[in-house]
Amino acid sequence: MTELLPQLIASSILLGGIYGLMSMGLTLIFGVMRIVNFAHGEFLMLAMYLAVGLAACGIDPYMGLLIAIPVSLIFGFAVYKCVVSPILDQPHVVQIFTTLGLSIVLQNAALLMWGANFRQLQLPYGDRVILVFGAAITLPQVIAFAAAGMFAAMLFLAIRFTYLGKAIRATAEDRKAATLMGIDTNRICLLTFCVGTACVAVSGVLMAPLYATYPTIGANLALTAFVVVVLGGMGSIGGALLGGMIVGVLDVAGGYAVGTSWKEVLYFIVFITVLLIRPTGLFGIRGAEEFDEAR
Amino acid sequence: MIRRYPNELRGHLWPGILFLGALIVATASSNLFLQDAVIVILLWAAIASAWNISGGFAGQLSLGHAAFFGLGAYTSTLMNVHLGLSPWVGMLCGAVLAAVVGVFIGLASTRLRGPYFAMATIAFAAALQVVAGRWYSLTGGNEGIPIPFKVGFENFMFSSKFSWNIIALVYVIAVYSIAVWIEHSRFGFQLAGMRENESAAEALGIHTRWLKIAAISLSAFMTALGGTFYVQYAGFLDPGYVLSFSLSIKFALMCIIGGMATPFGPILGALLVTVLEMYLRAHLGGGSSGLYLIVYGVLLILVVRLMPEGLIIGVPKLWQRMRASPVA
Repeated sequence: MTELLPQLIASSILLGGIYGLMSMGLTLIFGVMRIVNFAHGEFLMLAMYLAVGLAACGIDPYMGLLIAIPVSLIFGFAVYKCVVSPILDQPHVVQIFTTLGLSIVLQNAALLMWGANFRQLQLPYGDRVILVFGAAITLPQVIAFAAAGMFAAMLFLAIRFTYLGKAIRATAEDRKAATLMGIDTNRICLLTFCVGTACVAVSGVLMAPLYATYPTIGANLALTAFVVVVLGGMGSIGGALLGGMIVGVLDVAGGYAVGTSWKEVLYFIVFITVLLIRPTGLFGIRGAEEFDEAR
Repeated sequence: MIRRYPNELRGHLWPGILFLGALIVATASSNLFLQDAVIVILLWAAIASAWNISGGFAGQLSLGHAAFFGLGAYTSTLMNVHLGLSPWVGMLCGAVLAAVVGVFIGLASTRLRGPYFAMATIAFAAALQVVAGRWYSLTGGNEGIPIPFKVGFENFMFSSKFSWNIIALVYVIAVYSIAVWIEHSRFGFQLAGMRENESAAEALGIHTRWLKIAAISLSAFMTALGGTFYVQYAGFLDPGYVLSFSLSIKFALMCIIGGMATPFGPILGALLVTVLEMYLRAHLGGGSSGLYLIVYGVLLILVVRLMPEGLIIGVPKLWQRMRASPVA
């Protein structure tokens, strides 16, 4: 146990960082628009396919971020205009089933285009191992963690200290009041959705070297993202990071203690328990889970 | 012509025609494909109606109804395989078990609204799927369980499609009757009040907590019955299917496309979705397995956007509008 401890800690932290970044887009979009994007996992899956495709063209996936980010911004823009913006003020049924419909479409489009086979992105330096305090970690894990931390910090600073960030926070707090203060909330929603999509794309590209890519990977990871976001609190970026860490620890420690095949049950139990005891999560927007009755 | 019938019966005209049609196919047709299609449509119609009790009438959007379906399927199968009990007994036990679980989900629903409830139910069904797939000694794991093929009424196993058809018909009429009863009962009015405005309903003295629990539990009970029927008919229990998220979506989707909170909506939805699925699979199918699901997804987005009340209310409305103002 003791000689394994550094390994377990290192693995949990690295995994947690990636889970955190993966969930950030979901939490950002929820915070501003109060829409749970059930197609979140499919966005992630598409980004992973993009990385795999770029690698096939000989482009290093980390360089590929320069392509993935603009592409995801355009994709986010298109999805927002066609699918999301009309449902902003609709009842939950409409919001849930529209994004769910989108996820069905994207998942099966991927199945149709690329087939159900697993694809593993191979990096020339992918199996390089770094030893830190007796813990062995691979280079892609480190890069993913560092990049996740960097993007999270950038997002956090932008939202905290820029004027636009202030507008985003105001919209998240109260869309009607923000509109009355002269904020173009439609534009803020559009911007948030695009940024959220870009976050997902970044994490997808970073995860592509670590996980096999296949059409339903998104659906599997989206459940984890929901757990992370609910744990950290819907709408809170710091919460997403912390939630990611907690799920990372649960994942690694649970895998060690009860075996990898049962660890999923563990975090579903945690998920449902948190939902029941504290639906706002650790840092959630208080009252967000109540929603407006009037809508 | 319709006007000659008493008022109460008029609403049941279309469902009546459908049920009669199913009966005619069951007795008169020798086409096995057609008979199978009718059985499957009736089964999904019954389950979509069962989902409707919670999702439609009570407004609790569950995306985990496969959990109840799977509970029904597993309870009867395990009791049959391990204890040698008749699946009929197992079906009842499974339904009661699902109803008890439904009480807990209902308790959860009093704290969780909208998407939170949907996520919790997804997680619940996913957890059950993992347990069913991994608890090898009890459930046989991911490989599933073949149902012993011993023909006989007491074994819930029939060699003729006719018997399956009649049972499915009884099942769907039972769920439909419950829906009709709900629509016209005090229970139903209270549910409608709660669905429209929960705080106002509470202020009027309606116990919304018990209403939700009752509706979800009843819905779970009826869904679990379908789970047993399905595995007995299919002859094989596969955790990857009976507990899957896509099955949960399917139940909800049929009901939403047809029309939520109406007795006939889910039946219409099940008919349309199943026929569409069979047609698309036959014509697009084969190698391009994902294509019909894309159509499914687009249809879901469009119906939810353009006719949020479902086709059963949306289409007549559209028809009236077109008659009132003929275009060009």
